[in-house]
Amino acid sequence: MGRSEMNPTNFKKISVFSVAIFLFLTLIGDCSSVFASAKIATVQKVSGTAMVFRQGQTLTATVGLEILENDSLRTGPNGSMGVVFIDDTLLSLGPGSVLVIEKFLFAPRQGKFSFVLRMIKGTAAYLSGLISRLAPEAAYFETPTASIGIRGTKFVVKIEGEPKR
Amino acid sequence: MRSLKIIFIVWILIFFLAGCSSKRDFVAPSHANRDLIVLLPDPDGKVGTIHIATKGGSQILDKPGYVVEVEDIHKLPNVPRPIEEKEMRDVFGPALSAQPDPPSRFISFLLFFENDTTKLTHESKNLMAEILGTIKSRKSNEVFLVGHTDLVGPEGYNNALSSRRANYVRDLLVSSGIKLNTLFVSYYGKARPLVSTKDEVPEPRNRRVEVIVR
Repeated sequence: MGRSEMNPTNFKKISVFSVAIFLFLTLIGDCSSVFASAKIATVQKVSGTAMVFRQGQTLTATVGLEILENDSLRTGPNGSMGVVFIDDTLLSLGPGSVLVIEKFLFAPRQGKFSFVLRMIKGTAAYLSGLISRLAPEAAYFETPTASIGIRGTKFVVKIEGEPKR
Repeated sequence: MRSLKIIFIVWILIFFLAGCSSKRDFVAPSHANRDLIVLLPDPDGKVGTIHIATKGGSQILDKPGYVVEVEDIHKLPNVPRPIEEKEMRDVFGPALSAQPDPPSRFISFLLFFENDTTKLTHESKNLMAEILGTIKSRKSNEVFLVGHTDLVGPEGYNNALSSRRANYVRDLLVSSGIKLNTLFVSYYGKARPLVSTKDEVPEPRNRRVEVIVR
C-alpha cells in the first residue's frame, strides 16, 4: 500500500492525462492552419450574392476581403465573384458555384509551390499565375469527375455537381 | 477435363456480364449532365496546355476554343471539339465577366541561346535591354529566371546546361545593376520543352531562359 508507482488509480490518472495530451496535440495539429493562416488572395470583383466560408463562419464577399487557405467560395443564383491570388492567378466564379481552396503555397525563396482548387459545382474561369508557370506539376484543379493539370494557361469549367460515380 | 474448361469459361462469362450490367445501373448518364472544360488563349495570345484525367483515362487540351466533356469519373474524357460562341456565352459569360483585372501582372520574356552554349542569339541580346528596362521601371524585386535546353543529349548534361544558361542571365542582370537577392534561378534541362519534339531532336526554340518579371 502507498507505493504510488504501482497504484492502479495513479495509472488511471496517468493514462487519462496522456489521452488528454494526445487529444490536445491532435487538436493543435488540426488547427495549426489557423495559426499559420496568411492572406493568399483578395476579392477584386463581386456582383449579387457571394460568400466566403471559413472555419464554420460565413463572410459576405466584398471587394478587398482577404482570402485564406482552406476557404471556400460560394455564389448565389445571381452572384459572381473574382479573386486575385498573391501569385497573380486570377479566378472567378459564375452564379451558383462552390469552390474550395484546398492548398496554396507560394514560397519562391524556398522553391516551394502548391496550388489545389476543388470545384464542387458551377462555373469558373481561371488564368494561370506564377505557380503554374514555375511549377506546373504543383497546380491542380480538381472536379468531382476529373483532375485538371494546368500548364500555364487560361480556361473555363462548368461542373454539374450532381453526385456522379 | 473438357467439361471443367467449359464450366470455367461460363463462370467467367457470367462474372463478366454481371459486372457489366451492374456497372450500367451504376452510371446512368444523362446527356445534360456533363462537365465542360474549355481552353482559352491568355490575354497576351499565348496558349498553354491542360491535362484532363479521370479514372477512365486522360485527354490533352491544347487548342484554344476547344472543349473537353467529362460524362463520368470512370469514362475517358471526350475528344476535344470546338465550342460554339453561343454556348460559350450562355454558359461562361457571367464567370468570364467576373474575371479580375489587376493593375499589373507579371510579364515574361524568352531569351534564346546558340546550340549547346550560354551564348545568346543576336535577337535575344537585343531583348536584354528591354528586360532590364522593365525590371527597372517596375521596380521589381521578384524576377524569375528559368533555364531550359532542347532534347539533344543526356538528362544530366542538359540539367547542367540549363542551369548555366539561367545563371548566365542572372550574372548579366547583376552586372547591369540588378540586385542579386531579387533574382530567382531555377532550371529544368530537357524536361519542359516549349516545342515538344522527340528525344534527340535539335530545336532552337527549346534552348531558352524564360525571364518572368513581377
